Amino acid sequence: MLLDQMTSLERMTAYNKGEKVDRLPCIPSVGNGAARVIGAKISQFRNNGALIAQAQVESYKLFRYDVVRIFTDLYVQAEAMGAKVVYPDDETAHLACPAIGDISEVGRLQPPNPYKDGQLPAFLQAMHIALDKVGKEVGVIGSVTCPFTTASFLIGTEQLTKLMLRNPQAAHKLCELSLEANLVWAEAILDTGCGVTLSDPVASSTIISPRQFREFAFPYIKRLISYINSRGKSATLHICGKTHKIWQNMVDTGAACLSLDNVIDMAAAKEQVGAQVRLTGNVDPSAIMLQGSVDDVKSAVVDCVEKTYDAPKGYIVSSGCSLPTEVPFANIHAMMNTVRKIGFPVTKGKLAEVKQNPLNGC
Amino acid sequence: MVVLEKDTYFQQLSDAVVEMDEERTASVAAELVEKGIDAFEAIEQGLSQGMARAGKLYEDEEYFIPELLLCADAMYTGLDVLKPHLKSRGKSKGKIVIGVVEGDTHDIGKNIVKMMLETAGYQLIDLGRDVPPQRFVTVAQTEKAQMIAAATLMSTTMNGMARIISLLTEAGLRDGVKVIIGGGPVSPAFAKKIGADAYAANAIDAIRVAKELI
Repeated sequence: MLLDQMTSLERMTAYNKGEKVDRLPCIPSVGNGAARVIGAKISQFRNNGALIAQAQVESYKLFRYDVVRIFTDLYVQAEAMGAKVVYPDDETAHLACPAIGDISEVGRLQPPNPYKDGQLPAFLQAMHIALDKVGKEVGVIGSVTCPFTTASFLIGTEQLTKLMLRNPQAAHKLCELSLEANLVWAEAILDTGCGVTLSDPVASSTIISPRQFREFAFPYIKRLISYINSRGKSATLHICGKTHKIWQNMVDTGAACLSLDNVIDMAAAKEQVGAQVRLTGNVDPSAIMLQGSVDDVKSAVVDCVEKTYDAPKGYIVSSGCSLPTEVPFANIHAMMNTVRKIGFPVTKGKLAEVKQNPLNGC
Repeated sequence: MVVLEKDTYFQQLSDAVVEMDEERTASVAAELVEKGIDAFEAIEQGLSQGMARAGKLYEDEEYFIPELLLCADAMYTGLDVLKPHLKSRGKSKGKIVIGVVEGDTHDIGKNIVKMMLETAGYQLIDLGRDVPPQRFVTVAQTEKAQMIAAATLMSTTMNGMARIISLLTEAGLRDGVKVIIGGGPVSPAFAKKIGADAYAANAIDAIRVAKELI
């Protein structure tokens, strides 16, 4: 493995100030794949903050990327509010059943107590441990599943999307309730000293229209981010799938960084909103990171960097979404090493050189 | 004159579906049955036609998933009214077994593909979500289906798709059963790699692919 010259915190601090760094920041978005680093099964993470922290810290130490994210799946908050989640032996959890079957039951829903409900306390414990172990050298963040997506887990995606058209007030009520849940969860995360990252996959234009995004997702994300900002922290906002028609709205939420899916064109994003907001993305987590070769990873990273490195507000190399669990370590190393070889400042010459030469000696 | 009247009803039915209007779809359907208009034609030229238009609006990004779901609700409401009056069943264009592979419980995409294929004239056997590979194969065999359509949103479950194909081959059924796959993490390249017959990018694409293969 090639060695970095700076710690991640040194790098991010310098990069934010526009000063010289050793390489572009790079975040391969390792999720449950961290279990593979310590030889654990994913089901062992359940309610086990110490193990989640150990896995994420060891994964960071192995690959040396630029954030430690305490994350297993998107359902942690919805579960703490009554949604039923299935935990397979060694695969990522999935939603079995929303918290309520019908909007008439909405009165049953309460924002969770982050110190008591579901797995939330275990996640807070994991954040404390990770901060303690590596917080001096790398940022540690907790993950918040945004109001619209959380609402979809509380009542089911089909029901929520139909409510938007048939009973918009009810849909707003669910989003409002989810925002309240998000706010107490974000507060608890921020109180540990961690930062926050936001995901709103169901608000994607692959599912709902830009107009629906502006009505049912945007105002709630904006209020969430304004709270995070009031605590002195910035937020990255990730939305999967198509987003090109809502980029400006995403900027207007107050997010400091937009994390974009591999289906979108980073050059177009840079052109449209790169002067207002930092961008991160968007190597294909499945076709390239999971199924591709080391060389495919290298080409894809060079391609992303070529399109985005000169974005005025900066660029962080990353995968277009969380990595699938079984992404080969070699491909994660290849992503990091490509970024190391490209170095800083990024030049056309350097990109051409990295493109031509194999990634050997890494 | 009768032809004209019939066409007006079909147009109204189609419009009611596109406009997501369940009540109107039901009332137009009931009215045309009363007039003695053929229920099968009404399904084909009214309801299916409406869903095809909704599908086009979806492709053009005028409609999104929420609108498609409500068009489908209207379409199924109309179908409930018309079905008891079907004199002759139209010939099904083919039988397709559909499901979300084991380990994944996202089924909104699958439901839309199912509904679009149904309205395009195929007979669908829906296995639901979290379906083990063997079950796709067993049902395809017992139902003599011409195609399996497998979906996933989770990369963790992609191997289940490859398993469907190897199980089909082991059972000696591969030649008679086409396999199409779709969903977020899969791609045309992945379809090729596991030996699937095709990849479908969305519900409309699935109809195109089904027409080609069956």
